Amino acid sequence: MELDVALEGDLLMKGLRKSFAAVSVLFLLVMAVSPMKDSLREWRQVQSRYNRYIESLPQRVKPTEPGLQQVWVPKLERVDRCVTCHLGLKEPALRNAPEPYRTHPAIYHDIEDFGCTVCHEGQGAATEYRESVGKVKYWSSPMLPQAYMEASCGKCHKEAEVPQAPTLNLGRKLLRDSNCAGCHAIDGYDKQWVPGLDGIGSKVNRAWLVNWLRNPAGYFAKTKMPNFLLSDDEANTLADFLMSFKQFAGNSPLDSLPRRLTAATEAEKTRLAERGSTRFREARCISCHAINGKGGYVATELGKVASKVSPVWLYSYIRNPKHFQPGVLMPRYRFNDIDLQGIVAYMQSEFLDYDADFPAAHTIDPGFYEKGLAIFRKYNCSGCHGLKGVSDLGERAPALTYIGSKKLYEIDFGKSGIDPTLPSFLKTKILYPREFSKSMKMPQFGYSEKEAEAIAVALLGCTDEKIPDEFMVRRPPGEKFSPQGEFGALVQDLACFGCHVMGGRGRPVATDLSLEASQTQRGWLEAYFKVPYSLRPMLTERMPNFFMTGGEIKTIVDYMETAFIADSLDHRVSGDPGDVAIGRGLFFERYGCHACHQVGSRGGYVGPPLDNVGARLKAGWVFHWLKNPQALKPSTIEPNNNIPDGEAEAITAYLMSLK
Amino acid sequence: MRSDTYLMMCAVVLVGCAGPNDGREKDHHITDSGRVAEVTVRNGSVQQMVGLSYEEQQGALLYNRYCAVCHGQEGRGDGFNSFSLDPRPRDLSDSIYMAALSDAQIEQTISGGGRSINKTQLMPAYGWTLSRREIQGLSSYVKTFATPSRTKKE
Repeated sequence: MELDVALEGDLLMKGLRKSFAAVSVLFLLVMAVSPMKDSLREWRQVQSRYNRYIESLPQRVKPTEPGLQQVWVPKLERVDRCVTCHLGLKEPALRNAPEPYRTHPAIYHDIEDFGCTVCHEGQGAATEYRESVGKVKYWSSPMLPQAYMEASCGKCHKEAEVPQAPTLNLGRKLLRDSNCAGCHAIDGYDKQWVPGLDGIGSKVNRAWLVNWLRNPAGYFAKTKMPNFLLSDDEANTLADFLMSFKQFAGNSPLDSLPRRLTAATEAEKTRLAERGSTRFREARCISCHAINGKGGYVATELGKVASKVSPVWLYSYIRNPKHFQPGVLMPRYRFNDIDLQGIVAYMQSEFLDYDADFPAAHTIDPGFYEKGLAIFRKYNCSGCHGLKGVSDLGERAPALTYIGSKKLYEIDFGKSGIDPTLPSFLKTKILYPREFSKSMKMPQFGYSEKEAEAIAVALLGCTDEKIPDEFMVRRPPGEKFSPQGEFGALVQDLACFGCHVMGGRGRPVATDLSLEASQTQRGWLEAYFKVPYSLRPMLTERMPNFFMTGGEIKTIVDYMETAFIADSLDHRVSGDPGDVAIGRGLFFERYGCHACHQVGSRGGYVGPPLDNVGARLKAGWVFHWLKNPQALKPSTIEPNNNIPDGEAEAITAYLMSLK
Repeated sequence: MRSDTYLMMCAVVLVGCAGPNDGREKDHHITDSGRVAEVTVRNGSVQQMVGLSYEEQQGALLYNRYCAVCHGQEGRGDGFNSFSLDPRPRDLSDSIYMAALSDAQIEQTISGGGRSINKTQLMPAYGWTLSRREIQGLSSYVKTFATPSRTKKE
């Protein structure tokens, strides 16, 4: 009996032992799978290939230890394992190595402090190429393509001009100038001034308005107004609606045309027009108004303006622009009556649209006001244009404050067939706004592809990512310089901020005037206002002649001598002939200044000629300029030659002797 | 210094005419053996850069601002101001001359001016105006002007 049980138990044990052995072996094999998979990982091969590659280089490069490497940035809550494969990022010898071993291009942000994905996006914690780059369908934040790289700069850098980021700066400038804030709420962008529509019925003729509404760029190629792709019916109804607004803002009445313009003979008109054309050129209207495509683009095109507006409006407007368009940047020229009439006569004779058709007969639909108002609201015209009684009734567009963080599942790509990523959506939307659905209302701007990409870059920087304050670079909130009194009134009237910067405010088209009286002498300034001549031959733009009175010029120069001056820029220089001779030698022989500046018969054309500089500039300015030009005008291309004090004084003495 | 064995094709610099960009997608393929670099300048500012590395792009922007007025858009020494200068500015697309220069020599010329390399004082010294990184970027960009078959000696 006991033997049977024992035999059975023995068999059982043998069976158990066999199955135990089998299971153990199986278990061992299963356990081996994981280490085997680990040893065959993509990144291990990349690392061993790197070690083999650097042996072939002439320089000595430290080989990498096998293993995962990562950069951990706790402040930005990111872990980036890109450095596991990208091994040569800090190694200057690998500037021309194949990827992924190449040195990172020179940047101003340390990889240890910032990591990689804060700029490049993508999945930082991934260890396989495919996953990290994000070429996985519908992955919400794939790596940014190279064209959109500067978008990441925009996440932290909120200042006006971001260094080393031209695409971002261009995109932000376009966002601001196109007045996207008129319909879309975007952080940091305010609505720009756009001409109001009050009194439009007394200003333009109807045929012009219909053509304009149908295609603004047909009249003025660089207009900021986009094309709303209106149907003919919509354009006609809207034109009727707008032409019913005949009262100007502030109820200013139009002046009546003087007899000289209305009742003159042909010969008188021609003489008047000739006089007008001379004044027109002196006033340099072309600095802001393009004429048939040539000129500035601050204001509207004038080449066909006589076919657009009535002559009585032209006359009244040039005489006092702010009466009819409050807030406009146009200066009020001090033309006398005859000159003004001449200018109007000149424009009437020259600036005509010779291809305009005669306006067709048109009957006004009785319901035009309600229908026109509906169209006005539908396209949110009051987002840009003020119109009394009708503003703030339009339908706003989606806010763009966090557009950079928009999730892919929130985007309807329609039948467009584009790459399903956020950057390509933004670019396509900006180029062809109604591409994704028939019921969209966004108008078509005439951007090029590069411009659309730049705007997409600027928008991609508007994210809701929580970035700690120490990383953010914000524009310092400044007090807006607002001069008061007589000088302030003149600045408003003549729109000086349209071209000059003073006290940090204005447009940097012409020179910064904040230290003007430290720079130029009083006598020269007063003469300049009378005859603004071209100071730099290379520049195509000139200051207009505003025909100011002597009293107004004195007010301006007095103010400058009091406020736009810095005592620290004073410096006495001797007129000693010995110094002057030494200075001349340094000027020509040592520093070669005549490479860019003309003196007498020789010299270059880059900087202003220095023939009369002793009567134009002040000695202290010349001295400090020679010591460090960038401190006085940061955007100058004059190099800092590290001139010692004594030499700078000698050169200044020489220059001040040139009168 | 290291030797540069890349063959690069000529950097074609187009001065843009009036009119908007036609929006054509340019297919520029960057390979290890050859590159086509293109810089489009309109109204004095750089509009577009194609086929340039990051450093060369920074250099292109600086070149357009500081150097192009004498050395020309394509580096041929035919800039607007070049006709008033004697001697004329260096033709930087001269591959034979440029081939003999090392990186350090180019950077020294930019940084210390003509006098620092025993040439004319008409070439200004930018060492106190531009940072070392900017000068390196400029030097990278300047090297793209020379025609292919450029081999550099140390």
